[in-house]
Amino acid sequence: MESEVYNVHTEFFEGPLDLLLHLVRKNKMDIKDIKISEITSEYLYYLEDKSQINLSREGDFLMTASTLIYIKSRSLLPKPEILQEDSPEEKLMHTLVEYDKIQKISQLLKEMEGQTLLLWKREEIFEEFENKEFELEEVSSFQLAEVFLNIIRKKESEEFLYVDSKDYSIEKKWDEIMNLLEPDGYLDFYKYVETLNSIEEILVSFFCILEMIRQRVIIGVQKQLFAPISIWKTSTEDNPIQ
Amino acid sequence: MKDPEELNIETEIGQLAFIESVLFVSKDPVEPERIMNYLNINDVEDFEMLILKMEKNYKENGRGIMIKRTGGGIQLTTKPQMHDFLKDFFTVRSSSRLSLASLETLSIIAYRQPVTIAEISDLRGVNSIGPVKNLLQKKLIKISGRKKVPGLPLLYSTTKEFLLYFGLNDLSELPSLEELTEMFEEKEQPSLFQ
Repeated sequence: MESEVYNVHTEFFEGPLDLLLHLVRKNKMDIKDIKISEITSEYLYYLEDKSQINLSREGDFLMTASTLIYIKSRSLLPKPEILQEDSPEEKLMHTLVEYDKIQKISQLLKEMEGQTLLLWKREEIFEEFENKEFELEEVSSFQLAEVFLNIIRKKESEEFLYVDSKDYSIEKKWDEIMNLLEPDGYLDFYKYVETLNSIEEILVSFFCILEMIRQRVIIGVQKQLFAPISIWKTSTEDNPIQ
Repeated sequence: MKDPEELNIETEIGQLAFIESVLFVSKDPVEPERIMNYLNINDVEDFEMLILKMEKNYKENGRGIMIKRTGGGIQLTTKPQMHDFLKDFFTVRSSSRLSLASLETLSIIAYRQPVTIAEISDLRGVNSIGPVKNLLQKKLIKISGRKKVPGLPLLYSTTKEFLLYFGLNDLSELPSLEELTEMFEEKEQPSLFQ
């Protein structure tokens, strides 16, 4: 490759579009008018060389290679009068135009990231000198469901040696949870569930908690992703949901 | 005897001092409405005047801090020129930045939200589960629901942390796609003469 002589080998291509767009720019082509045969041979060169592409994405690179070769072979055949809207040429062009935008936005975000990192906020100082306190945040039902699944899995692996025929009701659980919330106003969801005896009871408690959250009697908060969730009673004067 | 330091928050000097102290102790950007409510300021323009005065003061008097408007609130931050010295003084390693894959993924989510992983992967030409998980963990994006198509895939949107991370006041501060093209055309111009 002649052009390789002055091209600095520092670039690393995450994905096929990344490489393709680089080749288009390097050859000063217009995205909307790509010379497929030129691009294809260069593209395949990179694919063979392997040193500049993300090999864990090799499959994606090969996919695009096959598209390029397909387009190239199509160009050798007599062309239909009208180019169809969804021809592979059109599709590739559209993908590249979109990817070009994404790269530009990424570059912009990168600049903004750099500028913001120059500004230090209080947080940074806390982080350096103390154990940073995580901010409590309301968790979504998706996160709650995830924690719930973890608990179920844990309970499932336990052996139950006793038979308990107790019936659980959401009403009873409601009162129980409210009582538990009484002293401190909060409850560690995970620890609470661990005290429960059966999957049935956990299920009833979980639905009860969901219902309480829905009615805004309590809120669930989590310090960080996958951290234990705690249940807080919503006080009337300071409702954190609003 | 009256304390000469006593400040009345009904006066402008007092109000400025109050705002400064609130911003000083707040870790997160403070919403203007909260301060306005407390100080009984009803007109946004009046409040804006106060903030502009503070900004001017920080700018002109050789101060190390400044006012930053971010995520819909205001915050005190150090001036960018202090960065290198602070890094040196506190012996902080360089702060980690987002990977290119994460930035690309974030770009798509920011401009097309709410969006599914499949759509992101399609636009990037590579599977994007990894960067999406990473961004979720960093809280720069969140699950905002499910798309009503077969399989009900999860939809992702940006968060307030996203705004704070990039120093944006709100999403509308991101340039539109047309503006973006113009910005880059300007930048790319000189390369024509190389």
